[in-house]
Amino acid sequence: MDWLLILGWIGLFAPTALGAVGSILGCARAGQAACGAMLDLEGGYGRYIGLSALPSSQMIYGIVVMFALQTAATPATPEGGTALPMTITATNSPGLFVLGVLCGVALMVSAIYQGACCASAISVSKRKPEVFGLSVAPAAIVEGFAVFAFIFALVLSGSIPK
Amino acid sequence: MGRRTYYDLIASLPGLPLRFDVERPPISQHRLNERLQMLEADDAAVVDQWTNFVHWDRQLLDRTDDDVAHSYQRLISEISNSFLLELIRRRMDTRTIIAAVRRRRAGLPAPTGVGQWVERIQRDYEHPQFQLQTLYPWIGRFDQLLGEGQALEAQRIIFEFNYRELEELTPNDMFSFEALLIYLARWEIIDRWTSLDQAAGKARFETLITETLGEYAHLFDATE
Repeated sequence: MDWLLILGWIGLFAPTALGAVGSILGCARAGQAACGAMLDLEGGYGRYIGLSALPSSQMIYGIVVMFALQTAATPATPEGGTALPMTITATNSPGLFVLGVLCGVALMVSAIYQGACCASAISVSKRKPEVFGLSVAPAAIVEGFAVFAFIFALVLSGSIPK
Repeated sequence: MGRRTYYDLIASLPGLPLRFDVERPPISQHRLNERLQMLEADDAAVVDQWTNFVHWDRQLLDRTDDDVAHSYQRLISEISNSFLLELIRRRMDTRTIIAAVRRRRAGLPAPTGVGQWVERIQRDYEHPQFQLQTLYPWIGRFDQLLGEGQALEAQRIIFEFNYRELEELTPNDMFSFEALLIYLARWEIIDRWTSLDQAAGKARFETLITETLGEYAHLFDATE
């Protein structure tokens, strides 16, 4: 099989796979911190569990990017739609690979570090409940960068040659 | 990468107060030991080494300098965690300086001691602060308080310095094993202070009782 086509397939699934890896690690870190906090608290567990789920959004972004890349690799019908089967070719493979892998890496790293931010927020707000809102801000900022990578991957996927 | 982290364990520990001189530690020894069971075996062994050191450190009063030096060398030769070694070396440096101040007040020669400042202290024994005032600004005040017989106050300023110094050593990764070691070291200062405070409080209470009741204070202490 042509290596170029393999790269195209890798790029197609990379946002989902790498986003999932990041979300797994991020949610696990934050979830462990939430479980630890529950040992030391008498109540108010819900918001910590909710916070620990924040890094799951990168996985969702990854799925959306994957579908966008799939659409980009699907030839248009004579009527202008995209009903024909998806075709990975030597022409669209480089674009799929670069967009998919780079977006996937950005999503993965952001999810891992967002997990660390959430864990810190849980630990800090457990000791000082009044700073809960502020302590979530770093995690939200990290999310912002993941959203940038996601949006611009969608925008550029429209430029991949068929 | 590759460093072990303890998100669940560290998040389960209550925050330590800004100052060490509180009424009681935020977590009891028993509860702390329970939480430490979350540690991996090799890290638990490092924590055991710290516990052994603290236990050893609290029983130094009735030993000679040579005994202390020998047992200290044996103790640190068994420790491979560099961060723990650094914590212990800092503790022993402080201990050597305290011994030097006390010996000078008693008119004795400089201690042999252990740690990096032994030679400096021997060389600058006559200097009020052994030329170490930049690193240990508490020496002068400590010496003065000892001279005034305020041992508890003297102990307080050392604890205050060590407590703050440990906070500055806390690594950026608040869930790392090193952060846990710092937590344990700071918790130990609080525990030691509250023990001292309890002992001092008990002594003060007994003095007050004796002053108030006079000879009747010990009416029921006598044995048949």
